[in-house]
Amino acid sequence: MRHVASVAGRELRSLFVSPVAYGVLSLFSVLAGMFFILDLSWFEQALLQLQQYPDQLAELNLNDLLLHEFYGSISVVLLFLIPGITMGLYTAEKANGTEELLLTSPLTIWDIVLGKFAAGAIFITALVAIVGLFASVLFIYGDPEVGKTTSGLLGLLLTGWTYVAIGGFASAITRSQIVAFLITLVVLVTLLLLPGISEFGIAGSGSGVAETLRWLSVQLHFDPLLNGLVDTADLAYFAVMIGSFLVVTKAAVESVRWR
Amino acid sequence: MFANEKAGDGRIPRESVAADEVVGFGGDVGFNCIGVGHVIQAKRLTKRYGDLVAVEDIDFSIARGEVVGFLGPNGAGKTTTMRMLTGFLPPTDGTALIAGHDMFSDPIAARRAIGYLPETPPLYPEMRVESFLAYVAKIKDVPHAERRAAVDRALARTALNDVRRQVIGTLSKGFRQRVGLAQAIVHNPPVLILDEPTAGLDPLQIREIRTLIAELTAPSQGDTQQTVILSTHILAEVDAICRRVILINQGRKVVDAPLSELTADGRTLDQVFTEHTASDAAFPLEAAIVSGPGGAS
Repeated sequence: MRHVASVAGRELRSLFVSPVAYGVLSLFSVLAGMFFILDLSWFEQALLQLQQYPDQLAELNLNDLLLHEFYGSISVVLLFLIPGITMGLYTAEKANGTEELLLTSPLTIWDIVLGKFAAGAIFITALVAIVGLFASVLFIYGDPEVGKTTSGLLGLLLTGWTYVAIGGFASAITRSQIVAFLITLVVLVTLLLLPGISEFGIAGSGSGVAETLRWLSVQLHFDPLLNGLVDTADLAYFAVMIGSFLVVTKAAVESVRWR
Repeated sequence: MFANEKAGDGRIPRESVAADEVVGFGGDVGFNCIGVGHVIQAKRLTKRYGDLVAVEDIDFSIARGEVVGFLGPNGAGKTTTMRMLTGFLPPTDGTALIAGHDMFSDPIAARRAIGYLPETPPLYPEMRVESFLAYVAKIKDVPHAERRAAVDRALARTALNDVRRQVIGTLSKGFRQRVGLAQAIVHNPPVLILDEPTAGLDPLQIREIRTLIAELTAPSQGDTQQTVILSTHILAEVDAICRRVILINQGRKVVDAPLSELTADGRTLDQVFTEHTASDAAFPLEAAIVSGPGGAS
């Protein structure tokens, strides 16, 4: 485990000398800004429309209407951006032949897997920090709840990290960046749709299978955080997802040895 | 072995082997009680893929300071054997000892003692030469304080000082090969494993790389004397730099002798090669073709 930081450091530096990181960062900033402005103007409209209903106006608040929407949109943006960030994590090593360098160096496979995950997670943290910047603007002009604002950011962070773990695994099982990108996208969209699938699905709602499918859905555990509810069961979900994908990624990296 | 463990970094302490003892196979008892002075030992290395046998029962010991040419036609199992020696591939059977460390029970220490240049040099095209070597030094466990010096020395030994700030992707093939060699020696390992280090280079670059390898095995002050295994199918290369030849054919070792002994009766290496690879080969013609360019050069 001594070399997690070495691997992560190299990965981040490579990310930042390529246009990918800057492309993703600027694209993300622009998209986040657009969603923010749209949600803001929508909030303004709602405010105007409800002027003649004071009781409803009293229930209107920045968190439930604006930030909830904003964070929700960002989680979808992450879903499409993260496959682009993670697709090269392992495929690039295979293309460069550096896989052989890593596996013949005094590193453990965990050094490699955790290092690469850490690099992706740090990048996502930077993206979420940009989101936090937008949210903090609201504190200047309004009075959002600190708790809900930060728990929502935490939700975005954990969702992003889970997506990175999944994307890393996809990158480890193929040699092609495009294939890694597509696998990640398909898995992430499936995870998003799982609650719907479980309701209409084959198993029938309420059954064990349907419940399991529902539990697997990221949305189900992200929503409580959006609403300011930090439940250890939801945190455990993210930990389990990240942990399991890291374990299978380790197996996939190791598999070059016995293939 | 004890000296090794005390050093704790997997490198062979220089004092443990006096220079004049290197020649003898059993000279330096102090360094390794298992393989008496043998830095590399392959013990019945076997690799099977299902029913296909890639390498079978390869046995050899290489003493400190030796330069061994690992010969064989394409597909004979050279790369597979080297990958097993470096720990990249686990053998189906048998094991390898590197500087006294078993590659499979103590892989981290064994890998620390190896510098490895695979067939395609492992390079990150987007990194600068210097920072790439610094990264390799880091993951090869070179202590932080010595890293800068290690990189400088590797750059100097491979004559890369002029391009140290260049991005690897912009370098020519010959330079990339040199960077590949530099990453193999940056941690000053006692064992160097080079898989076809001159493949695909022009004659001038080939000569450069050969000179370089020759220099590596005749160390200057402060460098570990390196033991080298070099795979190739170019016979002239072996003639130029190796003192011992291990010839494998169809996954089996067929010749293991000093070069001088092989060519003592006036035969050329080309003849030896053809004789041993063609006689029991299923496709004698193919083996003969493979040996062709070596004989011509």
